[in-house]
Amino acid sequence: MAIEAVDTRRGLRSRREPEVAGIAGALRRLDWVLLAALGATVAYGLWAIDGITSRDPGGSALSRQGLYAFAGVVVFLVALLVDPDNYRRLYRPIYFGTVGVMVLVLLMGAATRGSRRWIDVGFFTFQPSEFGKVLFVLVLAGLVAARRNAIGSPRTPLEVIGYALVPILLVFVQPDFGTALVYLSALGAVLFVAGVRWSHLAILATVAVAGALAILWLLPAAGVNVLKPYQAQRLTGFTHPANDPRGATYNLRQSIIAVGAGGLRGRGVIGATQTGLDYLPEHSTDFAFASLAEERGFFGASILLLLYLLIVWRALKIVASARDLYCAVVAGGIAFMFMFQVFVNSAMTMGAAPITGIPLPFVSVGGSSLLTNFLAIGILQSIHLRRGGRRRP
Amino acid sequence: MADAGPSRRFLPGDPRVAEPYRLTPQLALRVAVLGFFALALFSVLFLRLWALQVLAGDKYLAQANDNRVRTLRLEAPRGAIVDRNGLVVVRNTPGTRLELWLSDMPKTWNARLAELRHIAQITGIPTRRILAEIKKHGEDPLTPVVVQRGLKQDQILYLQENQPQFPGVHLGESYLRQYPYQSLLAQVLGYVSAISPEEYKALKKNGYQPTDQIGQSGIEASYDTYLRGRDGKAQLTVDSRGRPKGAATVQVSPASGQQLRLTIDINLQRAAERALTYGINLARTGSEGAYADGGAIVAIDPRDGSVLAMASNPTYKPSVFVQRDPAKLNAVIGPKAAANNFPAFNRTIQVGYPPGSTFKPVTALAALMEPGPSGTGRMLTPYTILPCTPDYKAYGQVFNNWTPLIDQGMDLRTALAESCDTFFYRLGDEFYALPPNRGHPLQSWANRFGLGEPTGIDVAGETTGLIPTPEWRRKAFSGKQYGELDRTWKPGYSIQLAIGQGDVLVTPLQMARFYALIANGGKLVTPHIGADVELPGNRSQPLRVLRRFGAQPPQPVSIDPTALQYVRLGLEEATHSPLGTSSGVFGNFKVDIAGKTGSAEKFVHVRGLPNAVKLNQSWWCGYGPFDAPTIVVCAVIENGGHGGSAAAPAALKVFEQYFGKQASATLKASD
Repeated sequence: MAIEAVDTRRGLRSRREPEVAGIAGALRRLDWVLLAALGATVAYGLWAIDGITSRDPGGSALSRQGLYAFAGVVVFLVALLVDPDNYRRLYRPIYFGTVGVMVLVLLMGAATRGSRRWIDVGFFTFQPSEFGKVLFVLVLAGLVAARRNAIGSPRTPLEVIGYALVPILLVFVQPDFGTALVYLSALGAVLFVAGVRWSHLAILATVAVAGALAILWLLPAAGVNVLKPYQAQRLTGFTHPANDPRGATYNLRQSIIAVGAGGLRGRGVIGATQTGLDYLPEHSTDFAFASLAEERGFFGASILLLLYLLIVWRALKIVASARDLYCAVVAGGIAFMFMFQVFVNSAMTMGAAPITGIPLPFVSVGGSSLLTNFLAIGILQSIHLRRGGRRRP
Repeated sequence: MADAGPSRRFLPGDPRVAEPYRLTPQLALRVAVLGFFALALFSVLFLRLWALQVLAGDKYLAQANDNRVRTLRLEAPRGAIVDRNGLVVVRNTPGTRLELWLSDMPKTWNARLAELRHIAQITGIPTRRILAEIKKHGEDPLTPVVVQRGLKQDQILYLQENQPQFPGVHLGESYLRQYPYQSLLAQVLGYVSAISPEEYKALKKNGYQPTDQIGQSGIEASYDTYLRGRDGKAQLTVDSRGRPKGAATVQVSPASGQQLRLTIDINLQRAAERALTYGINLARTGSEGAYADGGAIVAIDPRDGSVLAMASNPTYKPSVFVQRDPAKLNAVIGPKAAANNFPAFNRTIQVGYPPGSTFKPVTALAALMEPGPSGTGRMLTPYTILPCTPDYKAYGQVFNNWTPLIDQGMDLRTALAESCDTFFYRLGDEFYALPPNRGHPLQSWANRFGLGEPTGIDVAGETTGLIPTPEWRRKAFSGKQYGELDRTWKPGYSIQLAIGQGDVLVTPLQMARFYALIANGGKLVTPHIGADVELPGNRSQPLRVLRRFGAQPPQPVSIDPTALQYVRLGLEEATHSPLGTSSGVFGNFKVDIAGKTGSAEKFVHVRGLPNAVKLNQSWWCGYGPFDAPTIVVCAVIENGGHGGSAAAPAALKVFEQYFGKQASATLKASD
């Protein structure tokens, strides 16, 4: 009902000046709370990553990450200037472009740690599946908008799912199971916000649960392994971490120790032995949250979570104030995907979610992820900038 | 603006959006569901975080502290340094270092202090210094604090036997620099010491560690990357009190540093350092060098610039940097260094002296090459006869010759041989009188000969010296305390410069490089000391050169060969004709040596005297054998009097060693 309150204020102002034009107007229409939350999260993330990586052999990743953040600001500004309706009209080229690049990655991508996720463009190794997250939402929303008069028909969700499965499978075979999950979460959010019938959603959820069960238990029992053994172990391992102290759940155990040892105030950069002695692997990327929790403690980790929550809250507000179905679905998809990544990444470091290689937004080292998050928030702001004038007829 | 038409509106009302969306109750419901879902997820996160960090924090902290696999650094032996013939100049001896692992030390301040006091008692290092070291270290639990590197056997035994009394004390293997030739080559070698926090910050990205040793000066610094090797890594499991459980497992073996071969001939180096002492003593016993207290000798190969000997006096034993005895260190680089006339200075490259008459060949070559005032011909031909008078009067000033007992015309050869000042005063005056559009040719030639420029030698810290120009003067005297008169370039400066006096400063190495140019036919060499880095050979495997630094090709400076030939003849006459300034020293030597003396006046502060006094810096630069030179020697004796009386006899000692021939008794020489 916060939505109502804001709306009233907007209404009062627009009675005198129905449409505000020009830069000044645009500035006034920005979501300043979201902007501040973005700035604070980026700054906090840079500070956190400086501490996390300061003992790494290559030294602090701050300068490199800072450079990406600077590029991210540019991406953000560009996203702000583009009317989201352009994405709606171009959803087909975006879709085929993204799928094409993903196929390219599979064919010629540099093999890194057994998976093919990156394309090396010299100064930057580019990870298409990261950028693909946002493009994926744009495409699905475009599909929904094209069929906005037939949302209730069962054909709509099926068609959307059909489109979505191609990139999801492409990411899955890279193999990047975590990112595939993020795509799935975005798909669910798009269908939900688009207004697919509750009954249809219920059926889809049932199918999804059944599918997950099949992949994890039934098919392996029948001799068909959809997941690589280590993936399955990570997915289920978090339910019984003490089983296998040096194996698949070793990372998880060290991660939980790291988080727990952080205590209320954290052990500081120098005292954080889990991070500094490399007990905690991948502490600058997948396990960044555990490292932050070890160094900065409950207070430090909570500040980050609260900043994330602030971003999610503003994103949901933007869903409610979007000017049309397309914008609302895009905002909803982005909001949910963001929330999903934050949750899965931080929960996994605490043993409350399966271990997957999902970066922690605005914290994990990695240019693709950082730029993608800037792009996502930029699109949210762009939607907010062009939000509907009056909502009640 | 407010009532602008729809087409000019920047924000909503886009006509392309066919059906504006409205917040339907259905969407509101779904957003609310999402909102509650978000709150639920974040609640899970906060609860889990609270449970782990606050409720069970102590348990996990204990587990983290139980994670006691220590990564130990296995120090790589630093590469040896050998002379051009493979004689070992610097090598390593294994040592034991005492290091403290702070996380294993007693947690209470009193207990910790008691332990540190005990350690101080054993090592002899004051508790205060150990505490300062720990503080500098920043309480970092992951890398140990190195208290001492060269523990003695009884100290090691005591620490090992009483280990339970010393929680957190670990004995690690280390290597210490050892110098078989003691003080020889001290300033060139430089020294190694612990990396400073600032250096670590700058070098972190090159893989340096906070506990590293790093070359701090001289060759040790400039070739650090080759000498340092790569440290290894071992893992050691320790119990909760930091005591090792079982042996360490080596993960990465240390790779020892590469052996560095120098162009230095250590026997010639010894001769040069002895020659310096000899020259200083000679000056002191003479009539004019009572205050002689230091000097430098450098010998280079004029063909490729390789440095054969580089001696600087006073000197010191580099081992003081290994033992780190504060009193001895203070005498070298500490507050007592001044009283010892700064032994750490490499005077061959780090100190600029006025060159005096050794500069005259510069003036000679410049005048032989430079067009005359009208732009045609040359300022000087080899046959031009100029008067050599007891003094030269110009601009209301009198410029004296070093000896008044002469008044005759002479050509360039004789002027060089007898070091006639007035001959060169005239040339200096002519340079001054050249039209302004010609710039400052004398200075330009000096620059072209490598004076006032870095030589590019592979030892850090060389000074560029100074070739004064009117522009330099204007800038150097721009301060408020100076008047316009101070800033003006006066003719006297040009006249003085012609004989290497005034503000001009050169390093002995720069002069050696210039004389190499005379010796090798007009090519400027790049002096260098590092010859190559190599894997030392043994019985089963020959020595393998990994990287040759080699000589950079000499750069030709376009000088007329005839001009050069006349300067050479002048230098040969200077050591052989009856009135030559160092004939008394070199005249009877079996190898034909050519060279020039110099006696450069300089105001110096001498201990015991209240004001600066004008003392002669004794110089000699030259080369041999005359027809196919293979060595250039430059010698300076500070406050040593005339060139012929201190520097030239010292230089002769170097030639004697180099050519393996003794000179017969020398005669007394003059400037």
